[in-house]
Amino acid sequence: MRRRPYGPTAWIIDEVDDPAAWASGVRALGSTAIVEVVPAEDTVVVICTAGAHADVGSLLDLVAPVDRPATAESAIEIDVVYDGADLSTVAELTGLSVEGVVSLHAAATYTVAFCGFSPGFAYLRGLDERLHIPRRSTPRTAVPTGSVAIAARYSAVYPSASPGGWHLLGRTGSPVWDVDEDPPARLDPGRTVKFRAVRP
Amino acid sequence: MIRIVEPGWATTVQDHGRIGLAHLGVPRAGAVDRPAHDLVNRLVGNAVQDATIETAGGLVIEAAGPLIVATSDGTRHTLRPGTRLRVDPQPDRVWAYLAVRGGLDVSVVLGARSHDTLAGIGPAPIVAGAVLPVGPDPQTELTTDYAPTRALAEAVRVTPGPEADWFEGGTEQITARSWRVSGHVSRVGVRFESGSWTRTPAAHDQLASFGLVEGAVQVTPRGEAIVMLANHPTTGGYPVIAVVDAGDLAAVAQTRPGSSLRFVASSIA
Repeated sequence: MRRRPYGPTAWIIDEVDDPAAWASGVRALGSTAIVEVVPAEDTVVVICTAGAHADVGSLLDLVAPVDRPATAESAIEIDVVYDGADLSTVAELTGLSVEGVVSLHAAATYTVAFCGFSPGFAYLRGLDERLHIPRRSTPRTAVPTGSVAIAARYSAVYPSASPGGWHLLGRTGSPVWDVDEDPPARLDPGRTVKFRAVRP
Repeated sequence: MIRIVEPGWATTVQDHGRIGLAHLGVPRAGAVDRPAHDLVNRLVGNAVQDATIETAGGLVIEAAGPLIVATSDGTRHTLRPGTRLRVDPQPDRVWAYLAVRGGLDVSVVLGARSHDTLAGIGPAPIVAGAVLPVGPDPQTELTTDYAPTRALAEAVRVTPGPEADWFEGGTEQITARSWRVSGHVSRVGVRFESGSWTRTPAAHDQLASFGLVEGAVQVTPRGEAIVMLANHPTTGGYPVIAVVDAGDLAAVAQTRPGSSLRFVASSIA
């Protein structure tokens, strides 16, 4: 594990291959001096209280990644109507049929690696390699809430309407973001996620 | 209750923001000049984290009942019902704050009363005609009528950021000259006019996005430095050359477009 100072009140742990597991490991330390633990693509940023920088740094040397047990309770299944605007484009880019794209996407088991971009926007790892394609060259100015999409090695569910550059495969009616829920994001880091194809 | 006569510019309800939710993509938000927000609360006997109004100026309020309020020029006022008060930043500053004794009692969303500029979480931005409820009297003693406002730091302290080694000399590239604030007023970050940067072989074209902290100094592909303020996004993909000390962030937030500031190298205690 490599940690580097990130200003007077934060550390960055970099070159990690499973950011959600490392973030869980940091949380498992149970330190009240740790304010935020933010996993991302290959890093975990740890923000601490003023004056606790050195102490938290020493604590971080003890961290080991912790996988969330993939129990039935922790897995979330999301019903998807696969009628997205980019299905045929994705089929073209991958050399698959539309049915092939849908069945590969719905067959995989995903894990939330981290959240970002907007509240509750979860980057899901586990996408079949045959579906790894770059983002759209021109992002859409408006993507509706509940859009199920892919880009690079990730899949995601748009938690709210926003601009977006991912390829739209379908949509779900079950919200993944609700400020009245605790936690407000259903897809939090480390969570296991499955998609199920349903009729409209 | 407070009635909004003129909403002014960029006027929102703010407190200390949402803490502990960055891993879900929820920005902290909260007052961009936290010391000024805390000061107005102390002047009216509130807890420092009570909700205040943050404005870039032009705000006119009317007391809908008897109110005790304070503004970030360090003054306290007792307002009779129907009295109006205009709130503007002090000369050469960007942001002003208004506290009312009892705090603004708008709904708590995800642990805070702050309006989040990026995602729209929390109370909506303040519009003309809005009526804001006020919490119960805190039953504290009012000790001072006037508080001198803090001078802002003349040189803003920075420590090296995670990508300081992408730049020849590291933070020297931002401490060697003064920087002029460009663009418009924002709660997300303060943008500076483009610099010319000398990169090292350690620099890459691409950087996977990573967690941002308040005070992070990003360098955009167009060569602009941006200092992240309270409402910064939770992650970002530009190199971070330096991080501004929390104690000097107010000075950055309060620097007006067209004005300049200096950075000075500091070390992590």
